Amino acid sequence: MKRTHQVILGTGLVVAITALGFAQAALDAKADQQTVQAPIFEVDPLWPKPLPNHWVLGSAIGVGVDSRDHVFIIHRRESVAQTEAGAAADPPISECCIPAPPVLEFDPEGNLVGHWGGPGEGYTWPSSNHGIAIDHKDNIWIGGNGGADSHILKFTHDGQLLMQIGRVGQPANSRSTEHFGRVAKISFDPAANEAYLADGYGNKRVAVIDMDDGRVKRFWGAYGNEPDDTNLGPYNPDAPLVQQFRNPVHCADPTLDGLVYVCDRPNDRIQVFRTDGTFVNEVRIAPRTLGDGSVWDIAFSRDPEQKYLYLADGKNMKVYVIDRPSLQILTSFGDGGRQPGQFFAVHSIATDAQGNIFTTETYEGKRVQKFVYKGVGSVSTRNQGAVWPGRR
Amino acid sequence: MRRRHWIVGAILVAIIAAAAGLARLDAGQQTVQAPIFEVDPLWPKPLPNHWLLGSAVGVAIDARDHIFVISLPDSFNTRTEIGAATDPPTGECCLPSPNILEFDAAGTLVSHWAARGGNIQVDGIDVGRAAWPVVNHGIALDPQGNLWIGGAGGTDTHLLKFSRNGRTVVPVGQPTDAAAAAGARGTGVSDTAAGGRRGGRGGRGGGAQAPPALPPNSNATDRFGGAAAVSFDAAANEAFIADGYRNRRVAVVDLTNGTVKRFWGAYGDPPADGPVAPYTPGATPARQFGTPVTCAELAADGMVYICDRSNNRIQVFRKDGTFVQEKIIAPQTRGAGSVWDIAFSRDPQQRYLYVADGMNMKVHILDRQSLDVLTSFGDGGRQPGQFYAVHSIATDSQGNIYTTETYQGKRVQKFVFRGVGTVTRANRGVVWPGR
Repeated sequence: MKRTHQVILGTGLVVAITALGFAQAALDAKADQQTVQAPIFEVDPLWPKPLPNHWVLGSAIGVGVDSRDHVFIIHRRESVAQTEAGAAADPPISECCIPAPPVLEFDPEGNLVGHWGGPGEGYTWPSSNHGIAIDHKDNIWIGGNGGADSHILKFTHDGQLLMQIGRVGQPANSRSTEHFGRVAKISFDPAANEAYLADGYGNKRVAVIDMDDGRVKRFWGAYGNEPDDTNLGPYNPDAPLVQQFRNPVHCADPTLDGLVYVCDRPNDRIQVFRTDGTFVNEVRIAPRTLGDGSVWDIAFSRDPEQKYLYLADGKNMKVYVIDRPSLQILTSFGDGGRQPGQFFAVHSIATDAQGNIFTTETYEGKRVQKFVYKGVGSVSTRNQGAVWPGRR
Repeated sequence: MRRRHWIVGAILVAIIAAAAGLARLDAGQQTVQAPIFEVDPLWPKPLPNHWLLGSAVGVAIDARDHIFVISLPDSFNTRTEIGAATDPPTGECCLPSPNILEFDAAGTLVSHWAARGGNIQVDGIDVGRAAWPVVNHGIALDPQGNLWIGGAGGTDTHLLKFSRNGRTVVPVGQPTDAAAAAGARGTGVSDTAAGGRRGGRGGRGGGAQAPPALPPNSNATDRFGGAAAVSFDAAANEAFIADGYRNRRVAVVDLTNGTVKRFWGAYGDPPADGPVAPYTPGATPARQFGTPVTCAELAADGMVYICDRSNNRIQVFRKDGTFVQEKIIAPQTRGAGSVWDIAFSRDPQQRYLYVADGMNMKVHILDRQSLDVLTSFGDGGRQPGQFYAVHSIATDSQGNIYTTETYQGKRVQKFVFRGVGTVTRANRGVVWPGR
């Protein structure tokens, strides 16, 4: 009798386990085709309008949007190859092309309405300009990731210098209050009159400065630790999470609700802090990603709650749409390629007041693209590929 | 006083007359009747499998209006662009696409051919073996539907002719074992990939170091010197080979057995491989072709059009090699030159000739008889309808144009034929829908 019970119990367990297995499989199959409510985007293949003067873009390593929804980008003129810049040779060897000025301003229709940048009187233009940000007064801030770029620059909307912040030509020192270490990106907290620096390619910290006088007010490393410049070696997805950022720290974006989102690029993670540097939480994105890493740049949706976070992943060639409170990836779009809506190293991302996304691509991507916001709706949780008009 | 009025009046009349004359002259030159094109920004459809097109160095159209594109799978930067191809993978994207892609008219990928070691794979299945060129270059379909590809690498001395299913492969010209040739001295010539390797950060091609180039021999009858492109004469059963990246000639071969029947250099003279001064605007045109000779396109009326790329010129011949005329395009161009590839309009008279100009980043539209440049379209850039080194050009039966871009352009684009109409003579820039 006892034995019979044991057999029945055993059989029951097997059945239960098998059933559980099937249920799990069914769940997985369902997850494969799952949909979710998330913002929907569609690439505008004809934005911006063609540049005048046979101008072409170099590696495009920054994008920002001003109060009038004008889109500013910054790119590297020196990255345009000889085979592309024949009209810039002396004497010219062809009618096309010429590297465009480093800073370009487009109106919402994509017309080029301003251009400036480069070396000038009274300041040192970065040896490798990197990142462009427009503050609430429509002033424009630029970092640099070249070897000697331990400073940042603040300009008026039309490119008049307002301030050079940080001593030029200093080596990395993540505890310095005198200079920075190859700043990747700058973002703002208008209420506190503070700028957040992703610092950077040399340093391994977030630095917070006063927007008017440029004074360093505070800084921190991963988990809010005191930053440390020890070389951590290459990222290993299976190793315990490191207690410091790896270079480059590529974004540091404050939200309206007082959180700061930091791109720890080669570590494939977003770390979230309070504005005083208190660590809140983190999420790993595509953690098997090696090399350049997966977490390149962040922008927020333009609803008052900034409910969604958009993450540019230049290594996996896509943009993730993330629920900001939970840091859950809802969906993603984009894939590798040279066609509209495809990417080669999507590097920077920004949103305008209408909720549209703008991206720039570095390396040989050399583009700015616009993704039109089509409202929140039902989309696949899987990667949507190239989001072309009429494809949904 | 009165005299002064008279003078002022006379001057005014003269100015008005001159202005009117100028205006009339301008009007006469400003517009022209020519084919109109409009880029299709969403053609072809995205490739599957995270595949990327490499430097795209050939395009051909078959009888069904399928589009064949040949590219260089070793033209990628391993670190930044093809992270999924490394071991272990560094990212989910991307992988080099197979060497040859076939699209249907709607832009859907329907077949693909790859060189894997010595094997030929059609749609991922081994179908045979072939001595694939070091730098495959140019693609064309002969009257029997066989696929031909050239080879622009420094040690490439042959073309390959594939049956439609890829199973039967015949080299045209004696292949050279690249490894065996590695002892030979010379300068690399494969400028198809070189431009990419000079690209910006993270943009350099990841290709292995090419072996030193072989010397040219424009009088050889058993092999070629970096054949760039080929076209066909069904009636005479002949192929015209643009030969090439090292040689300076047109070679005509028997379509069936591949024997060299005749060849010639610029002006129909015997070709010579001696050093040729670099092109100088305004100087007397060179008596020999420069390198590379990048196209040899036969028109229906028996005229053969040669792309003498670095000399910025088209030379026209009869099929027997008799020189007919030449035309210099964009004569101020230096460097890689202005005449990269040629295609004809699809009307019975082939009234228009299209020139891909990868140095000036545009397509010229010429009247084929007079070789007058009527208009042009395109400009530099990465957006639809813009070009980075437009390298190859072909037309389908509907008159649509397809282009491929080399270096870091790495695209195939479609320009929809909108009929013949009034267009500006001046470059039309980017031909976008609704513009």
